[in-house]
Amino acid sequence: MRRVPAVVLFAIGALTCVGLDLAYDGLVSWDRGSKFWLHILVVCAINVLGATSLNVVNGMAGQFSIGHAGFVGIGAYLGGAIVSNLALALKIPVAALKDNLSLGQSFLLLPVALVVVGLVCAAIGFVVGLPSLRLRGDYLAIVTLGFSEIVRLTVLGISADSATNPLTRAIASLGGSLGYRGPKVGEDYLGVPSVAGPFWTVGIAALAVFLALRLKRSGFGRALRAVREDEIAAAAVGVDPAKYKVTAFVLAAAGAGVAGALLAVQRDGPGIVGPANMKFDKSFEVITMVILGGSGSVSGAAIGAVLYTVIFYASEEALHQLAQAVPAFGSVDAAALRMTLFATALIVVMLVRTQGLFGERELFEKKADDGTPKPPSPSSDDATGTAKEALAS
Amino acid sequence: MSDDLLVLDHVEKRFGGLKAVSDVGFRVPRGSIFGLIGPNGAGKTTVFNLITGVYRADVGTIRLRSAAEGGREQELVGKAPSAIAAAGVARTFQNIRLFASMTVIENVLVAGELHRRAGLIGEVWRTKHAREDEHAVRARARKLLASMGLADVEEAPATSLPYGSQRRLEIARALMLEPKLLLLDEPAAGLNYGEAESLKAQIRALRDEYALTVVLVEHNMQVVMGVCERIHVLDHGITIAEGTPSEVRANPKVIAAYLGEEPTSEGEGEAGGESETAARPEAKAP
Repeated sequence: MRRVPAVVLFAIGALTCVGLDLAYDGLVSWDRGSKFWLHILVVCAINVLGATSLNVVNGMAGQFSIGHAGFVGIGAYLGGAIVSNLALALKIPVAALKDNLSLGQSFLLLPVALVVVGLVCAAIGFVVGLPSLRLRGDYLAIVTLGFSEIVRLTVLGISADSATNPLTRAIASLGGSLGYRGPKVGEDYLGVPSVAGPFWTVGIAALAVFLALRLKRSGFGRALRAVREDEIAAAAVGVDPAKYKVTAFVLAAAGAGVAGALLAVQRDGPGIVGPANMKFDKSFEVITMVILGGSGSVSGAAIGAVLYTVIFYASEEALHQLAQAVPAFGSVDAAALRMTLFATALIVVMLVRTQGLFGERELFEKKADDGTPKPPSPSSDDATGTAKEALAS
Repeated sequence: MSDDLLVLDHVEKRFGGLKAVSDVGFRVPRGSIFGLIGPNGAGKTTVFNLITGVYRADVGTIRLRSAAEGGREQELVGKAPSAIAAAGVARTFQNIRLFASMTVIENVLVAGELHRRAGLIGEVWRTKHAREDEHAVRARARKLLASMGLADVEEAPATSLPYGSQRRLEIARALMLEPKLLLLDEPAAGLNYGEAESLKAQIRALRDEYALTVVLVEHNMQVVMGVCERIHVLDHGITIAEGTPSEVRANPKVIAAYLGEEPTSEGEGEAGGESETAARPEAKAP
């Protein structure tokens, strides 16, 4: 395969993302009805980032984490707080914050916020990854779930009345069950600005997929998979499982944090960061994306995220249209029906392809060739290892 | 004084109330092929697990001597398995432990991680170092696979290989570490007479080609007696004999342990265990 210089790739990628960003604004001002569909693009990109990062720890390292939403939530609150306070400090007109900020303004706000969020979440990921050294499987999963619930309940449980010290006051300023609405200006809340358009969301998601692919194909990725397959054998060839498992958690947490920050400040976003972002069903959404695409496959996780998001939104819209067009459907609860259909589709996919759409393979990657004809061997029934692994996870 | 690579001294390991290994000590001369034998449950694999750090010895020392001039000694007790591997101790497993979902060559490449200079960021960025290392590691892996007769199945899933090839792949993976000491846990298990004969030649060839010291746990007496220069015999976690193959073969305690006869010397009188050991020769082959 011919090598394209990385600089050229990045330049093309960056230009494409700027183009997308401008096209988004252009299309929305031309036809406001296109906003719904264009916004799905932004959500898709954020979910791709979330799924790609979770895939590093769940798929590649084989450490089953169900606390991904905890990192997403921390990233969302932290990112939202940094961006809105920075906007205030830079005296970007308050009225403008209610609307989307321009791409130019986003360059003032986002780089700092994303780097800080990434670093903070990486540090938290390190701490949450430590139990993986002693726990495995279900037990580790429970610890990660506990982590995300602790974060969520901490935000929910501390109100301005009960806050007595600087730490609790800081947590109380996150708004509890009402959600975080930016710093208070006079009597009003500033709101969390909507700054991250396709340039940031699609750009970072693409970068994450690129890095994850390279990680998987590097010696580091190989060692990570070896740890997943057999920790004792990996250690016996000099691969320290502790180092690789904790690094996987750190990388996944950083990715999830950035995804959370983008979620909070996305273009046409809600202007508010709610604790529901951290609920465990959000973790399961991301797990579903990864398993749908194929645990361990980077492109699988990305495509799983896109499929999940598009089907999720499109089915809602389609059922909504149907209910309006056919009077008999008027009384149908579209949201509930959608979940039923979606669950059915997922069950069918998992029955037909237990290892997910891609298994561990990548898009455009050919099947591992079996080379010579296989003589019958005592272990030949192990060839279905990936399928078993998918079931086990 | 002889030049020993590995020295075990008064090593003891308990699992709850059970003493799996008690007061075991032996010296493995550099460049030798050393056998560790004993009936089932004698503690042989436990000794391997103690040397490689899978278990931690409760009592005693396990030292690896680095230089030929009786130089630096490294205490292995308390070190992590990966650190012990990095110190030059490679092993294979009794129940083959390959990385199941990975290809044959990937299994070997994993063991090349130690010899890389680039860190995580360097590898993802694909710096010059990282690319050179990957190239060198791949070339070495190919060479090892070729020498093990696995060149034409490089890209096949590791678990699709027949049993004997999986054993050879494990050895190739162990050699990728560039070890000083190679621990083989029952390499002859499941091999027929002819295969066992060629295994003997292979073990000698490996020792000579890679300047290894080999420690062998094995039930197949044809292999043990044919290839080992010294043999250490365990029974119920206790050393009962050590010597050359002919010495060990003639040792009444060894015969008693394997065949259940009353030792001709006064013996330590473990009468209880003997009816149990009597049935063992039949249970030898897996």
